[in-house]
Amino acid sequence: MARANRREPVGGAGAAAAAAARVPRARHRRRLPLFAWLMVLPAVAVLLAVTVYPLVYSLRESFYRIELTFSPTPEWVGFKNYVDALTNDPRFWPAMGRSLYLVAFGVAIELTLGFGLAVVLNRLGRPRTLVTALLLVPVMIAPVAVAIEGVVIFNNSWGPLNYLLSKIGIDGPVWLGDRSVALNTILLADVWQWTPFVAIIMAAGLRTLPEEVYEAAAVDGAGRWRTFRTLTLPLLQPLIIVTVLIRAMDIFKTFDTIFVMTGGGPGSATETASFYTYLQGLRFFSFGYAAAISYIQLIIITVIATILVRRMRKGLG
Amino acid sequence: MRRRRIVERAATWLVVLAALAFFLLPVIWIVLTSFKSQREVFSYPPVFLPEQIDFRHYSAALGGTGGKALKDSLVVASANTFLSLLVGVPTAYSLSRFRVGGQHLAFWILSIRMFPPVASAIPLFLLFRNWQLLDTYWALIIAYLTFNIPFVVWFVKGFFDDLPRDLEEAALVDGASRWKAFTGIALRLALPGVVTSALLAFVFSWNEFLLALFLTRSNVRTLPVALSNLVGGHEILWGQIGALTAIAILPVIVLALVFQRYVVRGLTFGAIKG
Repeated sequence: MARANRREPVGGAGAAAAAAARVPRARHRRRLPLFAWLMVLPAVAVLLAVTVYPLVYSLRESFYRIELTFSPTPEWVGFKNYVDALTNDPRFWPAMGRSLYLVAFGVAIELTLGFGLAVVLNRLGRPRTLVTALLLVPVMIAPVAVAIEGVVIFNNSWGPLNYLLSKIGIDGPVWLGDRSVALNTILLADVWQWTPFVAIIMAAGLRTLPEEVYEAAAVDGAGRWRTFRTLTLPLLQPLIIVTVLIRAMDIFKTFDTIFVMTGGGPGSATETASFYTYLQGLRFFSFGYAAAISYIQLIIITVIATILVRRMRKGLG
Repeated sequence: MRRRRIVERAATWLVVLAALAFFLLPVIWIVLTSFKSQREVFSYPPVFLPEQIDFRHYSAALGGTGGKALKDSLVVASANTFLSLLVGVPTAYSLSRFRVGGQHLAFWILSIRMFPPVASAIPLFLLFRNWQLLDTYWALIIAYLTFNIPFVVWFVKGFFDDLPRDLEEAALVDGASRWKAFTGIALRLALPGVVTSALLAFVFSWNEFLLALFLTRSNVRTLPVALSNLVGGHEILWGQIGALTAIAILPVIVLALVFQRYVVRGLTFGAIKG
């Protein structure tokens, strides 16, 4: 195999170097397959046991009607749970809509604010390290702690936020108790926790951009906006897509803040897909149905992730 | 020209300070709450600084359900971190050096990390119910492997990728076994990465809420679950809640400040090397 590589007609020093680099790797693969496989075996076995096996198990459950409360013996119902969720359940699609609302606006706001903050961060000299470390505080703390901060700060009778707003003449909303506001309050909590994360990533990305290109653009008389659109955005695209991917997946999963801050309410104003799954499973004990709706979410998430990863590969290739 | 630069610098710092205030004041507020009396919490206009700083809420919180929760969180997070490293680090090495399973295996492991926990919570609940593991330490120690093994594998793999192979290959030529080359050389050189992955894996377990809510009830109650119970209680003792929240977040904040470079790398699965 090594010899075949060396004879490749592509030629040039680069190809020869690439072929040379491939030689030792090929030798390892032939000589040490057992050791290499033994090293990954425990992790693969554990991951199969804790992810794939439960998934197969719950796929089976999703075709049954299992109501722990009044019909404890599982009854085979075929695709009924899926059909019910997609066509009959008045709460499923609105919940999915709220999840997608959080994802769309959360990603957009965090990316915009994060990018702005990144530009400012990179203007700092040495203090940047300290400021970055401080900005990591919201990112690292438990979402439940964020939610508790939220309960205190957004409280409309004694919380500090509405007091501050009243000082500048704004009559603050009932952050957690108003149907038309509560979902945006959840969104705000996510933006608070994760904008610094996006900012730090973007700042690191911006620092890797080649300066010469920008100098050339300046010589050509390109304005700030034009430079941003035709240079910065395309150069940062792979990083932006990775960030969008990580954030979109995470926001779709949002649960902790909703559970503590609003409990899905008022009414069902903050009932997202993951919160609704929790209700069906752990409050109503309809495990078959809950398994079916978690499968539907899994499919939707996989589709979104695949589209993003495709775009990322295209961007890189 | 010089004046313009001064204005620009001032504007930069103004934005930075505003951002720091926005992102840090809520954390500071909740820590201050842990020192306030119930009357101070409910006073309007809100009081910023409590009248007296003492730790009565801390001892009350730890004397109540908080102490047990702290212990449960420590047990679950430590045991899970240990197991994640035990199986994750060799996998990382193998993926880095031998590319076992090609890209497919590596990406399969990564994709597990992206999983929505609700999707695995129901199946794990049903399984653990059959195995009678619900409401035990093992339920959480096992469940948290779903996100921490993939994390450790990807994070530590990045560190192995950065190491030159020469030293290990020289050792092999000298007759060392593959295992010896791994433990004696590669592992030692990648130790900073391994330690950081341990700290971050610990934090991820420490912060987890949804699976803990599904899989445990009264025997085991980690800090996030204990906190959410306190907020949902009949009489809400904000001082104690503030104290327990501070206990839950302060260790994490110290880690963030000390290891900030690696934290960024960890949170992006190695996409940013900090």
